[in-house]
Amino acid sequence: MPPVVRFAVRRLGRAILTLWFASTVTFLLLRLLPGNPALAVASPNMTVQARNILLHQYGLDQPLLTQYGKYLWQLLHGNLGVSFTQQVPVSSVLLARLPWTLLLTGSSLLLTIAVGIPLGVLAATRPHKVLDRFIQVFGVGVQSLFVPTVGIFLLFVFGLQLHWLPIGGAYTPGVYGAAWYGSIIAHLVLPGVSLMLVQLGSYVLTLRATLIDSLGEDYTVLANAKGLPRSKVVWKHALRNALLPTTTLIGLNLGYLVGGAVLTETVFAYPGVGRGIYEAVTQLDYPVLQGAFVLLAATVVVVNMLTDLAYGVLDPRVRTV
Amino acid sequence: MRARIPLTVVAAIAAAATVAACSPAPPSSSGGGGGSSSDTLTIATTTDVVNFNPLIGNSRTDDWITDLMYPRLLTIDANGNKQPYLAKDYGYSNPTTGYYDIRDDMKWSDGQPVTAADVAYTINAILKDKPAGNTTYGQMSNVSGATATSSTRVELHLTRPDSTVIPEVGFWMNVVPQHVFQPHGSVATFPNNSDWVSAGPYKLVSAVKGQSYTLDRVTPYPFAPNNTPTLQKIVYRVYPDINSEILALKNGDVDLIGNSLPPAQVKSLQTSAGIKVQEAPGLGYEHMAFNMTKKPLDNLQVRQALADSVDYNAIRSVVLQGQAVTTGSSPIPPVLKDWVDPSLKEYTYDPTKAKQLLAQAGVSNLKLNLIYSLEDPVSSQAATIIKDDEAKAGITINLEGQERNTYLANTASGNYDIYLGNFAIMDDPTTNMSLTYLPGGAINYSLVNDPALSSLIKQAQSTTDQSTQKQLITQAATTVHNDVYDDVMYMQNLYFAYSDKWTGFTVKPSELLSLLDPQSLANVKKTG
Amino acid sequence: MSSTAPVLDSVSTESPTAARATWGAFRRNPLGMGSLVVLVLIVLVAIFAPLIVASPSGYGGAVLQAPSGAHIFGTDNLGRDIFAEVVWGTRISVLVAAAASALAIVIGVLVAMLGAYFPKADSIIGTIVDLCLSLPVLPLMILVTALAGTSVLTEILIIAFFSWPEVARVVRSQALSAVRLPYMDAARLTGGSSTWIIRKHLLPAVAPVVVVSVALTSSRAVLTAASLAFLGLGGVTNWSWGRILFEAEQSGAMSSAWWTTLFPSLAMLLLVVAATLISITYNDARNPRTRED
Repeated sequence: MPPVVRFAVRRLGRAILTLWFASTVTFLLLRLLPGNPALAVASPNMTVQARNILLHQYGLDQPLLTQYGKYLWQLLHGNLGVSFTQQVPVSSVLLARLPWTLLLTGSSLLLTIAVGIPLGVLAATRPHKVLDRFIQVFGVGVQSLFVPTVGIFLLFVFGLQLHWLPIGGAYTPGVYGAAWYGSIIAHLVLPGVSLMLVQLGSYVLTLRATLIDSLGEDYTVLANAKGLPRSKVVWKHALRNALLPTTTLIGLNLGYLVGGAVLTETVFAYPGVGRGIYEAVTQLDYPVLQGAFVLLAATVVVVNMLTDLAYGVLDPRVRTV
Repeated sequence: MRARIPLTVVAAIAAAATVAACSPAPPSSSGGGGGSSSDTLTIATTTDVVNFNPLIGNSRTDDWITDLMYPRLLTIDANGNKQPYLAKDYGYSNPTTGYYDIRDDMKWSDGQPVTAADVAYTINAILKDKPAGNTTYGQMSNVSGATATSSTRVELHLTRPDSTVIPEVGFWMNVVPQHVFQPHGSVATFPNNSDWVSAGPYKLVSAVKGQSYTLDRVTPYPFAPNNTPTLQKIVYRVYPDINSEILALKNGDVDLIGNSLPPAQVKSLQTSAGIKVQEAPGLGYEHMAFNMTKKPLDNLQVRQALADSVDYNAIRSVVLQGQAVTTGSSPIPPVLKDWVDPSLKEYTYDPTKAKQLLAQAGVSNLKLNLIYSLEDPVSSQAATIIKDDEAKAGITINLEGQERNTYLANTASGNYDIYLGNFAIMDDPTTNMSLTYLPGGAINYSLVNDPALSSLIKQAQSTTDQSTQKQLITQAATTVHNDVYDDVMYMQNLYFAYSDKWTGFTVKPSELLSLLDPQSLANVKKTG
Repeated sequence: MSSTAPVLDSVSTESPTAARATWGAFRRNPLGMGSLVVLVLIVLVAIFAPLIVASPSGYGGAVLQAPSGAHIFGTDNLGRDIFAEVVWGTRISVLVAAAASALAIVIGVLVAMLGAYFPKADSIIGTIVDLCLSLPVLPLMILVTALAGTSVLTEILIIAFFSWPEVARVVRSQALSAVRLPYMDAARLTGGSSTWIIRKHLLPAVAPVVVVSVALTSSRAVLTAASLAFLGLGGVTNWSWGRILFEAEQSGAMSSAWWTTLFPSLAMLLLVVAATLISITYNDARNPRTRED
């Protein structure tokens, strides 16, 4: 097998394994922990018999293995089941929410990189100077923020006091065309910025640490000695190397990013998957929960593949392996 | 930096493409023309619509929105009395046959008339398919079926005399269009999530989960001036909590907050510029139920001791900021003026007497757990005060604030010493007493089983004579009060905030109806 | 909810004799020392809370009062003193953070050591750790808490259970490189038992990473506990910073009474920032290249 194919097969196997793991963990947690969906769904006026009929309809009275087999079989056919509470296919429930999660996490990730790289470079090129200290403390400070508090603060200042940005939601109902896109961007700013803030720190700090290291490497010393301009040495040579761990970081942080969005989505009433999970938890809507976790795992898998691609571009050595 | 480009570009394109897929199409000339924003009322809510089928859904927003489309037979006025809505007249033609005579001037938005056949279909479908979350199902235990005897008359067949069926089904059930629902088979699995057909005053035209729900007006609607609801559009917007709802109202993003205000926010909003606060009576109560299957709670003196150790006044003035009234420790909320028995007085706060009662009962070192739902902020705060008060009488209370599902599971299995919670709507004393105090009743949280009390309630259920029924209910309420089968603490008055740009709301009791009742929203106007 | 752990990847092994140099460098860094003082103060507040202020059980008419001489942090919607709530909340918040991270560290280190020392188990362990890391952690914790119920103990267990993979990942990579060092082979050749080698050589080699991990895991535990509490999934039997925020949210005070959210949030920020800065300074101090001389 050529190395490229072997690499691709290994990657694919890993992706499938990740999806299986996420779906199985969710399935087992829902079945093995206490919790009765019929209670959550039914009116208190419903009799015990009526609730048992519900459990039967949901298939929850079958043996665990039977349920698991059915679930995996459906999953293989791309069928996520039907929501307990909404009586519509889970896929349609989630696909309506996924774009918003992708938009929010994607744009906040881009924003993080756009802000994080210059900050990291600034800090690393002036180690232990005032600016470096300031950037370090800033990085640590923002990543230690509690999202709901920041959210309410931002809404209060930029929404209510300054009237610059709207309070919550993904867009204003009743606008269309170009105004709709404008409205989307206006609604994206505050949640995007607060999600950016809490993840900015780790990128800045990682980049700073690795850049300081690579600025001490022989080749940068050599480049300096050859009389290349300092800025070129930093941005072209040292940074390229320092970006590798940063790219790894994106992959590592994905689970946190996608999952952490649940708080941001909650505070800003953003209609993403995270908020959907929270609502499904309160209603014990098993199929929606199972589907949502598979979907989030799939997102992580896809983005991980993208970072692999980026890794290859950044580091020529990877391509030849 | 070249290296970042692929990832960036891929991500940006993917995001743009997925979002573009959600882009809404502009409406194809909505009925009535105009469409200026002055005709749009925007309402904030904290819960998403779970289900658009009014026979299934039970979230608050579900009810608000489906009530604007699927008429109830009866409604409730400010004094808690049932009033005609779709039904012009209602009652019993003999002890086991009830009837509704319905209006002939209401139409579904697809042009079909609303008929008695729709009402009969709805009742029979609920009986047959038992949709989850349906409130009416539990009230129809004595109903065997319904038939439309003419286009405006529907008859309900009872297996035994039950005076509560007609008023309760009339108030709780939304009538759905048979020609739309029947082709889908079981009403328990029909999501009803597109192409809505409404009897007015408004009709859903677009729904974006987690975001907003837009309704357009429907004509003719007989309860609006000139048969035309005053608003062109109603938009429900979803917010995560009351905090952002208040911000949105102050910011002018919404015109009205659908949820009732937390007590501590009422004063500050009353003095906010541009905002009006409207009081509405509650229709339920907050209570403590002592689990009588557990020792020593089966002992009357112990229950009396527990009831006498709590300073109800303090709870009302601190937790509720004075926005609550006593029920005289009776299970009949004071808004139901025709039913209230003024001779019942609230349990007096007296820790010394409580200690004596405990000593007489031979109980010492009493330790009890008390469960409540963390979802309910008022109960959570009242619980703290109850714990401190009981401690003064030497009773140790272990507070167990629980997440909703744990709470429901424990409630259903009777796994608690003391239950603390509230009922939002207790519109009919006879029905409520049967659910609360009959053995096996759905909300019999004290698990009381007193044959004398049960017999009173059952007699009240089967008589259709108003004054006899009232007498029986008063007797039953007195028994509940004196034997401390329930410890009702107060009825909360509700407050709703809206922009002063609007006027003409009708106030109805409870959060369910409040200012959002169909008749209210069909008559709202801009000020000036 | 972001992760600072990858900072650790640059940690290098050091000989015990370098410890003094590290401490010397640490002491010279004002950020690190300042953070250490703050952290010690927070722990002292947690321990001696009852001596500082009475438990916030009282309630009265003065609801939602802005900070004043009588109530320096103001009062909440039941008229309770927020200063007392924050001080008492320190206990549970610090306890949850400490216990959850301790448990996560123990599990994570054990798993990582097993993997590093027994190469046959390592690929399986590595895969499991990676799989766990790809899970959306916060939503899963929400799910488990909602089903398992809320109490301080379950909260600690749940946070620990979802935090150990991160610890295992960093410790494992450190342990793997240590195992390949010549002195480990030497130890094996001289016939030392596995447990002896792990205890005597492997553990000291990963000790620095573990130190940094403690700081990071516990600070993340603080934020996670508060997130769960804020979503209505925290215990309400005891005061914690998250509970103060939750009650502010439920009573609608967040948007109108800034003091109900500011002070518990500040306390949380202070603890998390201090812990993170200590780990960063420690890390810098150990690395000769980033060390300030």
